[in-house]
Amino acid sequence: MIKCADIVKEFHTPSGVRRVLNGVNCEVQRGEKWGVLGHNGAGKSTLLRIIGGVDLPTSGQVERDMSISWPIGFSGAFQGSLSGLDNLRFIARIYSRNYEEMRRFVDDFAELGHQLREPVKNYSSGMRARLAFALSIAIEFECYLIDEVVMVGDARFAQRCRHELFEKRSDRSLVIVSHSMDFIKETCDHSMVLRDGKMTICASVQEGIDMYNNF
Amino acid sequence: MTRQIKRHDTLFSNFFLQYKVIHALILRELHTRYGRDNLGFLWVIGEPILFCAGVAIVWTAIRPAREHGLAMTAMVVTGYVPLTMWRHCMARAIKAYEANGSLLFHRQVTPFDIITARSFLEIIGTVMAGLLVMFGAIILGYMQPPQDWSLIVLALIYQCFFSFATALLAASLSEMSDLVEKFVSVISYLSLPFSGAFIMVTWLPLRYQWILMLSPMANNMEMMRGGQFGLEASVRYDLFYDTWMTGLLLLVGIILTADVRKHLEITG
Repeated sequence: MIKCADIVKEFHTPSGVRRVLNGVNCEVQRGEKWGVLGHNGAGKSTLLRIIGGVDLPTSGQVERDMSISWPIGFSGAFQGSLSGLDNLRFIARIYSRNYEEMRRFVDDFAELGHQLREPVKNYSSGMRARLAFALSIAIEFECYLIDEVVMVGDARFAQRCRHELFEKRSDRSLVIVSHSMDFIKETCDHSMVLRDGKMTICASVQEGIDMYNNF
Repeated sequence: MTRQIKRHDTLFSNFFLQYKVIHALILRELHTRYGRDNLGFLWVIGEPILFCAGVAIVWTAIRPAREHGLAMTAMVVTGYVPLTMWRHCMARAIKAYEANGSLLFHRQVTPFDIITARSFLEIIGTVMAGLLVMFGAIILGYMQPPQDWSLIVLALIYQCFFSFATALLAASLSEMSDLVEKFVSVISYLSLPFSGAFIMVTWLPLRYQWILMLSPMANNMEMMRGGQFGLEASVRYDLFYDTWMTGLLLLVGIILTADVRKHLEITG
């Protein structure tokens, strides 16, 4: 379970303090697949980062009792000047996973080939997303935090992600932030809508989508 | 439920995890800094060696062989090695969190681990470089072997903790305020006279000696010299003061480090 209680997040900007999240409450149970809807800048990614523990909330608490992935998006989690393999090695070490096994899976899944030996900073954002997905799936988290944008694009890869994540690992929890109604409708069984720093938990995915469309 | 990971967090398992993270960070730091090419990691020692040996050679060449009755090369080596350790630890710590934002995407990596890994590398590097320069100088006859190794080891241990404490402080404070970041290099330069690297406490007039004694590093340097020269030099250090001052700095450093995540805006 993940439980967010009264999450407030403020950013200090030159024009003063901006409150992005203003008392957000939500709960994710094992196996649930949540879609978080909201407009650009509504704070979806910020919430994801707070759940993932990358950023700390200004106030409020996050309780976690399952292993949670880092927020999987285009950026973060990798050291640009190191090769994909070195990043893999580091991540295998800190998550106590077997390097050889992980490497085999990543080779197979991300299909980066010899580019795995190049510095990550030379990767395209798509390649980075592949690496991030492959690594996080190899680690076998109990809950995945995903920025939906990484799954659009390369159709073949998106298909494989869906297969690995939604079919083979259907017992895992997911929190996906997205603009794409179709995507949410297809993959999630719950939805919540973020607006003006407040979170509305919706009774069904359809209700969330209607609400989002009516803004 | 395919592969359910049940975790029982105990104090021991947490320590073990932290040990593993720091270990991984050290290896990663070696790779980022020196590349993966063969002996690149030797630069951990190479860089401080060039520093220490360079300064030792230049000072030996241009300064009188003895100052206040003490051999110049030994003075420089015992002074410059701990000084380098401190300055490198601090320089590596400034804005370390911002530069390593990508690491903090992984929840088990804490700011404390990052500084520990970086300081560890600097400390190992300078200590090994210091020993090599020292043995080199002894073999070439520019320096006598230390009279009392145990005092040198004790001084080094104190200096390690002092360097680590200042690294923690510099890392946290430089994230909390940009002003600190700008001033740290100035401060580290202006504080050279208080480091005790180039002078001894007893060279000062008696009534000003207390000023130098306030600096933990100067106390450590005195210890170093005591170990190197033995009875030849008159040294003054206050172990009691040095211990609680270093402990206090370490404590404040750890508290600030535990608190610093609130101030970080991680990009990357």
